Amino acid sequence: MNVKGLMKKELKAYFNSPMAYLVVLFFVLCLNIFFFFFGQFFAHDNANMRGYFQIVPVLFILILPAISMRSWAEERKLRTDELLFTLPLSEFEIVMGKFLSGVFLLVLMILLTLPVPIMLNMFGNFERGQIIGEYMGTFLLGMAGLSVGQFISSRTSNQISAYIFSVIILIFITFIGDITMIINVPPVVGNIFSYLSLSTHFESFEKGIFDTRDFAYFAIIISLFIYLNIKVIKLKK
Amino acid sequence: MIRVENISKIYGSMKAVDNVSFHIGRGEIVGLLGPNGAGKTTIMKILTGYHYPTSGNAVLNGYSIYDDPLKVKESTGYLPEMAPLYDDLTVSEYLDFMADIRKVPKNEKKQRIEKVIEECGLSPVVYRGIGKLSKGYRQRTGLAQAIVHSPEILILDEPTTGLDPNQIIEIRKLICDIGKEKTVILSTHILQEVEAVCNRILILNRGHIVAEGTPDKIREDVVEDDMYTVEIAGDVNVDSMAALRSVKSIVSVDRTDGKTVVHMSVEKRSDAGSEIFDWAVSSGCRLSAIIPEKTSLEDIFRKLTNQGVM
Repeated sequence: MNVKGLMKKELKAYFNSPMAYLVVLFFVLCLNIFFFFFGQFFAHDNANMRGYFQIVPVLFILILPAISMRSWAEERKLRTDELLFTLPLSEFEIVMGKFLSGVFLLVLMILLTLPVPIMLNMFGNFERGQIIGEYMGTFLLGMAGLSVGQFISSRTSNQISAYIFSVIILIFITFIGDITMIINVPPVVGNIFSYLSLSTHFESFEKGIFDTRDFAYFAIIISLFIYLNIKVIKLKK
Repeated sequence: MIRVENISKIYGSMKAVDNVSFHIGRGEIVGLLGPNGAGKTTIMKILTGYHYPTSGNAVLNGYSIYDDPLKVKESTGYLPEMAPLYDDLTVSEYLDFMADIRKVPKNEKKQRIEKVIEECGLSPVVYRGIGKLSKGYRQRTGLAQAIVHSPEILILDEPTTGLDPNQIIEIRKLICDIGKEKTVILSTHILQEVEAVCNRILILNRGHIVAEGTPDKIREDVVEDDMYTVEIAGDVNVDSMAALRSVKSIVSVDRTDGKTVVHMSVEKRSDAGSEIFDWAVSSGCRLSAIIPEKTSLEDIFRKLTNQGVM
């Protein structure tokens, strides 16, 4: 499959610049500092990793756009988009190649957090299912964020505006469910908002609940934005 | 190899290409000429599948741009006006990527990449980041990318911009070599380049083809009068000048260093040289030179594209 060649190039470009290293480092450091330092994990004396991924939604809002912002904006700046569309690749392959290389970075970030639960496991009896749920949720949330960011990158002309727009949109769709805390809305609307929000579905994974509805929600969000991205580049022809 | 049938492309309210048709066979190098905005780049973008035409069809290497866009893209190599390079990659990583995507077989890949590196003179910068290369190396890397899979059809948009004279000659030679077996279509502003490289020219103006053929054929079609420069030692008296004027129309007369230089235009294919000679003998002028002037491609180009010939 030709997607592999494109992914190879995307990843080389990521790792030839300091960006990828910084993003991964930032994620792993923040997660652990918040968990052990601010979260006072050891003081709680509780065999529970609930808090470890609590700040993931916020962290992702900051770092996922940094990964996805370059995907199209950079191509446009270098005028390589013209080359890309004249290569024997379908629009689907191009969009997937870009998306999967972002996912590769995401997986790398998540894998680098694994030593913590593995080590903590020696100190107490942790609930495996919940930890697996947290990882699952983080992975799905990350993919959703990347698909949104990549779509926004295809609509903007430079990386800075791609980043800022993506952050704003991600804040919106992550926390729209919490809007009921600020303003008074009818319960029906509040429920709809809460259902649409990324964080609601992430939280249920965090609790260790595997619900097909949550899987379906993430699957729909991811495929919707990938579809929109393909549409956008097709329309430009 | 390339068959373009009644292609039109409209951007908004602007008709960039208007009902253009042409045919290019294997082993031909065809130059697209035209002022800025004549539609050269648009035609190239349609051929490479970057844009769809508003109407009309193009068939490359037997594949239609509508029905088999991926097959078309596989059989072409394309160098856009601005070399499309990833600044974060090294030259070798970039060529490797292009060879992968262009489906160069694994066992030939290394060999092909080495060959284009040599052909395009890239060996000093193979492991350098593309972002740090000079304009000339960037352009050559762009060309290397277009030929790494030895495509049947090569589409080059102003391939020699930013190169020094030596490199221009090398690249032209390379294009000529490729053109022996493959099909090359290139656009350029440099008219000498067309004469040096192309077998055939298409001159475009405002989205139309205004002239087509070999440089000599176009010259014949477009030029109405031949130009002659006649040099005569010493002065020419008024009577003989009048005699000359009755035969030919004189464009200008210069008198310098005891020499008279007469520029004249003569009806095409008349036996002008010997007529001028006869005149010189009968009027007793000492003729030092009769130079038939070939109308330059520049003049033809200006003539065709300035008056908006339809």
